[in-house]
Amino acid sequence: MTTYCYDGSFEGFLCAVADCLEAGEGQPEFTRNRDRQAGGLFSGDMRETVTDRASAVEFRKRLVEAVSQEAFATARYAFHSRKAGIEQLLWRYLVMGLQVGGRLCLMLAEEPVHSVNRIARQVAHEAHKFKGFVRFQEVEAGFLYARIEPEADILPFIAPHFVERVGDRPWMIHDLRRCQAAVFDLKSWRLIKDVELTSEPGVTAGEHDYAALWQRYFQRHAIAERHNPKLQQKHVPLRYRKHLTEFKSPRTPL
Amino acid sequence: MITLPLEQRLEILADSAKYDVSCSSSGSNRSGKAGALGNTTSSGICHSWTADGRCISLLKILLTNACIYDCAYCLNRRSNDISRAAMTPDEIVDLTMNFYRRNYIEGLFLSTGVIRSADYTMEQLIYVAKRLREVERFNGYIHLKLVPGADPLLIAEAGRHADRVSINIELPSRQSLALLAPDKPRESVINPMRQVSGLIVESKEARKQSRNAPHFAPAGQSTQLIVGATPESDREIITLTEGLYNKLELKRVYYSAFVPVSSDNRLPALPTPPLLREHRLYQADWLLRFYGFSAHELLDETHPNLDMRFDPKSDWALRHLELFPVEVNRVDYEVLLRVPGIGVRSAQRIVQARRGTRLGEVELKKLGVVLKRARYFLTAGGRYLGGIRLDGPRLMERMLAPTRRPARLDQLELFAAIPDASALTGEL
Repeated sequence: MTTYCYDGSFEGFLCAVADCLEAGEGQPEFTRNRDRQAGGLFSGDMRETVTDRASAVEFRKRLVEAVSQEAFATARYAFHSRKAGIEQLLWRYLVMGLQVGGRLCLMLAEEPVHSVNRIARQVAHEAHKFKGFVRFQEVEAGFLYARIEPEADILPFIAPHFVERVGDRPWMIHDLRRCQAAVFDLKSWRLIKDVELTSEPGVTAGEHDYAALWQRYFQRHAIAERHNPKLQQKHVPLRYRKHLTEFKSPRTPL
Repeated sequence: MITLPLEQRLEILADSAKYDVSCSSSGSNRSGKAGALGNTTSSGICHSWTADGRCISLLKILLTNACIYDCAYCLNRRSNDISRAAMTPDEIVDLTMNFYRRNYIEGLFLSTGVIRSADYTMEQLIYVAKRLREVERFNGYIHLKLVPGADPLLIAEAGRHADRVSINIELPSRQSLALLAPDKPRESVINPMRQVSGLIVESKEARKQSRNAPHFAPAGQSTQLIVGATPESDREIITLTEGLYNKLELKRVYYSAFVPVSSDNRLPALPTPPLLREHRLYQADWLLRFYGFSAHELLDETHPNLDMRFDPKSDWALRHLELFPVEVNRVDYEVLLRVPGIGVRSAQRIVQARRGTRLGEVELKKLGVVLKRARYFLTAGGRYLGGIRLDGPRLMERMLAPTRRPARLDQLELFAAIPDASALTGEL
């Protein structure tokens, strides 16, 4: 049993899978560089995977030709759930895909397709929700800043949406959970790792006014005769409310 | 009216706008422009949900809540004693741009009370939309309300700036409209709808010829019906809806459970808004649009109202037990859609998955098909999933029976049997 060590990115994972296939592995294990344990009792040999964009792109081409674009997209969503053991599950999914070809997408009730689809759906769903739940603040540095704490690593899925939408300002969406941020500089966006705030960012004067207007609008928009907090909580779970302007009390700092 | 501070006016106008239930930001797909703000996605995006569980997608607001009309069901009617306020077009534009930039909203839904005349009011609405599009280069979603009785030329202009336009029928029959909204003849609502429907078709045709032909309301038109303020049956409402979808090609018909906003003696006194009826109407509406049902299948003379105990599809299936059960591995997609409890997504998954494997109960559950109601109408590999075959009335009873939850197990307590612990400690 060989353990493949990769850099934690999706591209890196694809390279690791390509390496495994080349080496004819049956049941490889995968680990990210940063969680790597120094040779446990039962660990086999370790192999370092070098992330190489060209070989990741080549693997994608191979998968899309053998199975479908949809299968690749599903695998990409599922990978970003960052659940423990997702690499092994995806390895089985990808190997099965290369064996059975286009039939993979029809095998909805069989493992591992069922599990991968379910996880991919959760991630896609959360990514869609966050297209609505990101709340930008205008900070004094002259750009828009937003904080999120999603369950899955959804930045790669929502960043292109905000590039299209808010194309006239530089912005930054900060994933506090994973200490990373998507940053847009008016031309393109990129992912920056290990982002930490040294101090609370100062917001512009207008920011408080618009936030207050939005809070009042939000309060008044509910119809009292239809009061239904359970339904509200179904759509906006409590865990998402921390960074939503309209759920903060008017006096707390933004 | 403009002398109050902005935040108070925002509250008053949001209050007045909230009874219009149309909220969606879907149906339009426009990519962003470099250096400009905004795009639209065809699925629409909800940004938040208020305490009544309704989503906020658009900044839904009135230009003013002053109105020359006196429609009995409306909060903003002339004779109602409420605070009146107005926003200037610049204020609306500024709010929209700043809310949108912070990703609070998906766009603007602008409506208004009628001031001076229908044409003047319509011009005001168009002016805001034009400012947003042409001066601010706003590329997000705009939903404009059409004013009943406005000039056809103005209506044609509104659709060039807006993604969606709407005009509310509000009351399902001519008599009700004459009784409760004497200033609004039915023609002043239906004629603009016809015109918009024609213009949408025309612009779609033109855009097939040339990609540069102008858009006209690319997200279509919608309308709203108030439920429970007048005595119309569900059958009248659903038949009207079907006509609107088939003949005028509306994108959506919204139903709004009547919330008594006045004590006018022409209106019924309802203790609570008829929310369940509203819900059943939406279910029937979905059956019309996505499940291939027609209005006369769901409701007829002997059966003019939707059953409040069941969803309309279960109700239909229980009256047509001769068609069931069907074999899940063989039957057509259209028939699967008619099985209670199976929605579009489940039906699609079943059709996809059964090409690869034979489906049994376990596989169906894995696909995410909810069998609670569906099991009584399905066989899988020849085996009936509902247990013992029941006739109509008994099956109905079974489906209505409450699902049993396990009895609550309380933590055992040492002194639970003794009513008052003070008897033990002696501090009586």
